[in-house]
Amino acid sequence: MEGDQIFVTQHWDIKYNHAAGETGSTFFKAIMDKKVILGKKCPKCKRILLPPRSFCERCFVETSEWVNVGKEGKIEAFTIVYEKFEGLPNPPYAIAYVLLDGASTAIANFVKGIDLKDINQALNHIKVGAKARVAFKRKREGRITDFWYEII
Amino acid sequence: MKPHNLGIIGVGQTTYVTRRDDVTLPELAREAAATALEDAGIEFKDIDGVVFSLALDALEGIEGGEKWCAEALGGYGKPFLRVHTGGAAGGSAVHTGFFHIASGHFNCVLVVGSEKMGETPDAQSVLNQIFDPIYERELAINAVNMCSFQAVRHMKKYGTSEYHMALVAVRSRKNALNNPYAHIKKEVTVDDVLNSKMICYPLKLYDCCPRSTGSCAVVLASESFIKKIRKKKVAWIKGVASCTNSYYMGDRMNGSCINDYADSEALFLAAKKAYNMAGINNPNREIDVAEIYAPFTSTELAAVEALGFCEKGESGICNEKGIFEMDGEIPVNPSGGVLTANPISATALARVAEAALQVIEKAGERQVRKVGTAVATGEGGSLQFYTVTVLSNKI
Amino acid sequence: MKVAIIGVGQTSYGEHKKKSIDELVFESTQKALYDSGLQRDEIESVVTTGSDGLDGRAISNMITAGSSGAYLKDEVKVSDGGIYGLVMGYLRVASGLFDNSLIVSWTKSTESSPELVSNMAYDPFFLRDCGFNSVTSLAIEASAYVNIAKVKENDAADVVLKNRRNATRNHLSHLSGSPSKRAIISSNFVSYPIRKGHLPPKSDGACALVMASEKKAKSLDKYPAWILGLGWSRGEYEAGGGDSNKLFSLGKSSKMAYKMAKIKNPVDEIDVAEVSDITAYHEMMIYEALGFCGYGEGKELINDGVTKFGGKLPVNPSGGILSSNPIFASSLVRVAEAALQVMGHAGKRQVNNAEVALAHGFTAMSTQGSCVVILGN
Repeated sequence: MEGDQIFVTQHWDIKYNHAAGETGSTFFKAIMDKKVILGKKCPKCKRILLPPRSFCERCFVETSEWVNVGKEGKIEAFTIVYEKFEGLPNPPYAIAYVLLDGASTAIANFVKGIDLKDINQALNHIKVGAKARVAFKRKREGRITDFWYEII
Repeated sequence: MKPHNLGIIGVGQTTYVTRRDDVTLPELAREAAATALEDAGIEFKDIDGVVFSLALDALEGIEGGEKWCAEALGGYGKPFLRVHTGGAAGGSAVHTGFFHIASGHFNCVLVVGSEKMGETPDAQSVLNQIFDPIYERELAINAVNMCSFQAVRHMKKYGTSEYHMALVAVRSRKNALNNPYAHIKKEVTVDDVLNSKMICYPLKLYDCCPRSTGSCAVVLASESFIKKIRKKKVAWIKGVASCTNSYYMGDRMNGSCINDYADSEALFLAAKKAYNMAGINNPNREIDVAEIYAPFTSTELAAVEALGFCEKGESGICNEKGIFEMDGEIPVNPSGGVLTANPISATALARVAEAALQVIEKAGERQVRKVGTAVATGEGGSLQFYTVTVLSNKI
Repeated sequence: MKVAIIGVGQTSYGEHKKKSIDELVFESTQKALYDSGLQRDEIESVVTTGSDGLDGRAISNMITAGSSGAYLKDEVKVSDGGIYGLVMGYLRVASGLFDNSLIVSWTKSTESSPELVSNMAYDPFFLRDCGFNSVTSLAIEASAYVNIAKVKENDAADVVLKNRRNATRNHLSHLSGSPSKRAIISSNFVSYPIRKGHLPPKSDGACALVMASEKKAKSLDKYPAWILGLGWSRGEYEAGGGDSNKLFSLGKSSKMAYKMAKIKNPVDEIDVAEVSDITAYHEMMIYEALGFCGYGEGKELINDGVTKFGGKLPVNPSGGILSSNPIFASSLVRVAEAALQVMGHAGKRQVNNAEVALAHGFTAMSTQGSCVVILGN
């Protein structure tokens, strides 16, 4: 209660088991078992899709072929976060979309290994067009955070 | 077949604020609805149907709050629909109302949006939940950094700078001083913006919208209904179009792709269609004022380009030239826009409402001189859903 | 302007562990497009309907837009039950602005807890803390019905048996085959008077339709399902008002739809119906609200076999929601099945001489919102 006003506090705590599907599962298993990033190729427009998808939304056909894309690529977009958002990591942290060599679409992940405290210093390294490589977690569990990017 | 003619005959808005502890969500929704009906000169019993714009359930903490609100909006015993395209919901709701009447089955439809996001401690932690739980949610992406990605691409592609973005903030906040409904009413200088706290590079505090509580409503009516009630001032809806882009932002980030994340391509396509429907060939000359859904300064830069107000990459320079100022060639967001009030479920609807006020010359202190045609936009998802509505003072 | 359904696509219903949500949606969309003979490129408008709460995504059409064929198309999401997607598609095509529209709805019921999600749909002050959810709110309506209309356990069990028996003719169905009447009558109470045996299963699935303008539909070399009538309406948020077992919103919607379709005597003029049998008791209440019989007489239609397969007015030849319940999509499935009936494409579950069909769906809590569609060939 604040003054004459009543406030009722409520929480949402609902558990979801999101199926990654066979395509998503293959992608994560390749990261877990072989430390490789697999994209899926559209037989029509030939785009190699990351995250992998079992169909192409543009051509509206199933994809079939898996393609092993490179572990290096180029930053297409990024941000460095300095604000604390409830429930999200403590700042600062950097997120980037990287177009891995051979892929047609960029895939997001955290950028690690750069001191982010001084933004101007950090921006010397993290920029659109900068080269980045994939680094893998030692204990991988089938989540997107099994890997991250490091600036080359 | 040509759609039946229709227009906006009533507008209602609450003042946008951080929190409204004196009312519940349905009570808040009813405030704007009642004002809009009064403005139209009709009552709840006169409406044939209701369209409710409600964006993210989790922002209200109620799964499908439209259920709770239907009766408060006169929906009891009447056709009622909820639309939800994230931030674009208000635009989608107006279009849905348009289709109700354009089909010939309805004469008068109430469109309402209501937002109480002030009751959640952090909107961005909710907005993180719009991203894919398998590939993107765990990367802490939210609505701020989603727009940062566009900003850095725009900067790299066109040489746009943080200074250009700051100009947008300065103008919006100046305009908001003329809008009694605006949430943020404090002028800033370019230096204030540039020196404000970094949130998600390159977006700083004053590049960002507030999170607002409030509601907005418009009344749509058919030509015959308008004749019957002898309404004189009408904002006729001449063009409606929406366009959906791909979910994954990374699909739009590839040097060779035409649908570049820097450019809001789906807005461009929706605008092209809406202009075509409204018979607009040269938006630059034929549109007199725009209310653009841009929650961040950088979003507006990409939007004015997509709307054809300037060439791609020239929005920064056009802002330097003052083209979008109140006395410029195409005033943008005379209301102060989303940067000065963002009640998400009602925001895109407020853009249409403000554009309608301009067209019927009832915008008070924020009235732009000689408005014949106005455009309003909505934007939702991962810069994914866009709505464009063209209004005119001529049928 | 007349509007028709020209294509139907459904996944099978059940547990789909191997498919992500967008993959399920893609399957139904692709099937509907194939059935309609249109390519994605020819689609002008897309309407999606899903529940963010059930999907665990704060704007769930962000992920399903692509799989619904909406990439760079005019798309909108209706956050009311799937049948409201049809309403939206109808209005869009009937306005003359679009020649066609894809309608897509989905739910993966097995990935979350629908009862918990529906509890969150209740206001945080009065109802949520009192345990209201998708089952208890229906139970409140059913208890009023059981007591006032003198409906017996036996009647409810017969509804379940009819629909499950019908489901044996539907290869897409989640459950099929007849449980014993004893098993239904002795199953545990979930929320009095509703027993476990009176409730639908939790199914995953997606359903898609292609709608087209009269001109477009007539240009195709096929028999479409024409939309003859459409009605939708809201009732009270809170269940448990005196007449809640009379399904106010459904009565209103059916009147609106019958008026548009010029139907005076539904039992004589409608050949088959697909209704939202969200509990065994509700199917009987629905008969009454639709005017198939008077109040409290729903049980007689069951007992007399009027609504069984082969009866005068077969209801839920597909097996209904009691056999498959992909929650949000369930009401669009009713339209899909009704369309298949009037198109003559319902396979083993085809009702003879089905010329006029009715489809019905609920939205919101308990039976707050209803929609009725009349289709004809």
